[in-house]
Amino acid sequence: MEALKNALDFSDFPRIDLVVAACGAAFILAFPLFPHSSFAMATMIQFLMFSLYGMGWNTIGGYGGQVDLGKAQYVGIGAYTTAVMLIRWDIPFWVSMPIGMSLAVGWSFIIGYPLFRLKGHYFAIATIATSLVLLDLFQVWEFVGAARGLEISPIKYSPPDFLRLIFKEDIYYYYIIAGFFFLGIFYINWFRNSRLGFQLRCIKDNEDVARSLGINVHRAKIKTYAIATAFVSMVGSFHACYIKNIEPEDTMSLDISILIALMAMLGGAGSLWGPIIGAAVLIPLKSYLKEWLGAQAGLLGIDLIVYALIIMVISAVEPRGIWGVIERIRRRRN
Amino acid sequence: MDILISSIAAGVLIGMVLALVALGLTIIFGVMDIVNFAHGEFLMIGMYTGLLTAKAVGIDPLLALPVAAAVGFLLGVICYYGFVKFLLRGPMVAQLLGTFGLMLFLRNLALLIFGSEDRALHHGLLVGKSFDLGMGVIIPATKLAAAGLSVIAFLAVWLLMNRTKLGKALTATSLNSQAARYMGIATERMNALAWGIGGGSVTVAGALIVNFWSVNPFVGLLFTMIAFAIVALGGFGSVPGALFASIVVGLIMEIPGIWDFLTYTLSWDWMINVPMTSFKYTFVYLAYFIIMVIRPSGLFGWKH
Repeated sequence: MEALKNALDFSDFPRIDLVVAACGAAFILAFPLFPHSSFAMATMIQFLMFSLYGMGWNTIGGYGGQVDLGKAQYVGIGAYTTAVMLIRWDIPFWVSMPIGMSLAVGWSFIIGYPLFRLKGHYFAIATIATSLVLLDLFQVWEFVGAARGLEISPIKYSPPDFLRLIFKEDIYYYYIIAGFFFLGIFYINWFRNSRLGFQLRCIKDNEDVARSLGINVHRAKIKTYAIATAFVSMVGSFHACYIKNIEPEDTMSLDISILIALMAMLGGAGSLWGPIIGAAVLIPLKSYLKEWLGAQAGLLGIDLIVYALIIMVISAVEPRGIWGVIERIRRRRN
Repeated sequence: MDILISSIAAGVLIGMVLALVALGLTIIFGVMDIVNFAHGEFLMIGMYTGLLTAKAVGIDPLLALPVAAAVGFLLGVICYYGFVKFLLRGPMVAQLLGTFGLMLFLRNLALLIFGSEDRALHHGLLVGKSFDLGMGVIIPATKLAAAGLSVIAFLAVWLLMNRTKLGKALTATSLNSQAARYMGIATERMNALAWGIGGGSVTVAGALIVNFWSVNPFVGLLFTMIAFAIVALGGFGSVPGALFASIVVGLIMEIPGIWDFLTYTLSWDWMINVPMTSFKYTFVYLAYFIIMVIRPSGLFGWKH
């Protein structure tokens, strides 16, 4: 009960934040009711999915300050668990998603134990290495379709199928992921004021001081890593049902890991709203750049050049992200 | 037995070339504690430089090495003054993502200019020739020349670092940049020089590798990861460590080939379906992971 109360307690934010957040929430809930193109719908679903990835990353990367560039492996574990279980044994989404989450969390314990003995650059590169090892494995593993990947054919089921999450119209997917999105916000709101959240911020500021205060640093990091993993794997399972065609290269490549970390940093790592702002800016930008410059102008790779320039400018000019700028303006005003 | 010998020979030769690839990364890391994700993209640019210079001028690709070195040096210095200088003020996550942005930029610029198809050298002094050492050991002349030249380039950089005043200033900057500044060393210029040497050495390596490896805009990431593994094994910031570690990594990359040969000759049916060569680079990543966990400072490392 106490936890629920804390999750719904947003009273430490200034009122203007809450007004903007409420407007945003109303927009997300009302968006499908207005006329929209299917491209806009797909972009919105991508935005909600990547906000959730970013929220997961933000627990370990933002609050904890551990730069994790291997989140894509958990997207892969979640997506493959759901797809394999649905195709081979006809197990519905709502059962396979928790199983995928526990598999991902189990794997995160196995690699997290040695990983968190490393710090800084070494940790970041090691997370990439583990992610690439798993990618190589999935590309030759015949049971999960090797490099061809898996395809969920919607003909076998009769949509709308709420158990297996097979729909014809995107609007169902939209409201399901929006539900996850709001639950995710409440969870992170609880997390940031929980015992673990405070421990993590202390670890980020100074690890030696944290240890001297009696915090079990290694254990706190592994626990948070598991939370981040659960978030990412959950959305990975949804991704499998939504996209219906998963390949190792699409679900677990390094680009996905980087995009997740980048969004959180662009919005402002270590704040509740940061990853959401980052996703709201970056995902539409990325998909519209691809649509206009990449597909229509016929110039190969030019959308990614613009995207890369944006990354470079942000990291050189304002590494604390959009939220950092807002906070600085506020501090100056007071 | 002969497969063992020829694998070892191939591993040592490729290792010598990889030493030059990793050299730039370890110098840059040693001097300013920044991990350059765009390292493999520098290599890719070196490969294109070697290939296109050789084709445009009609000379042997090995003679295009000075051009590649000049291009790499300029590229490194420009990247430093135009971009990396600003990254150094930010937190670590900004540095990692910033150099990743640089990598994405260079890769897609190459894609826009050169297209996505594989290109390879078909003509050249050494292309297609090989030495037969007997006992079934055949060494391609391109690989032998690349290994020899890369060791020469490696030694040149090592001499520059250890026997000249400039190199001593560079070493001083990497040991303690603040103290170096008090001693009157222009550390800003030393940082730029580190990027210049790093870029120059890796583009030379690229121009050597293009003799026996086809090039496309996506070739970089693989070499970046291999270079990370080498630098981790040798110790971040250690130059002799990089040479030793790259030969070890070159040998690790040959293990899957030997393994496949063994399963084939001994006819272990349960293994034949899974060719280990598809895990060629997985072994390198695993080696990185295990080395980092067991000995975080590497074999010869001094930076933490």
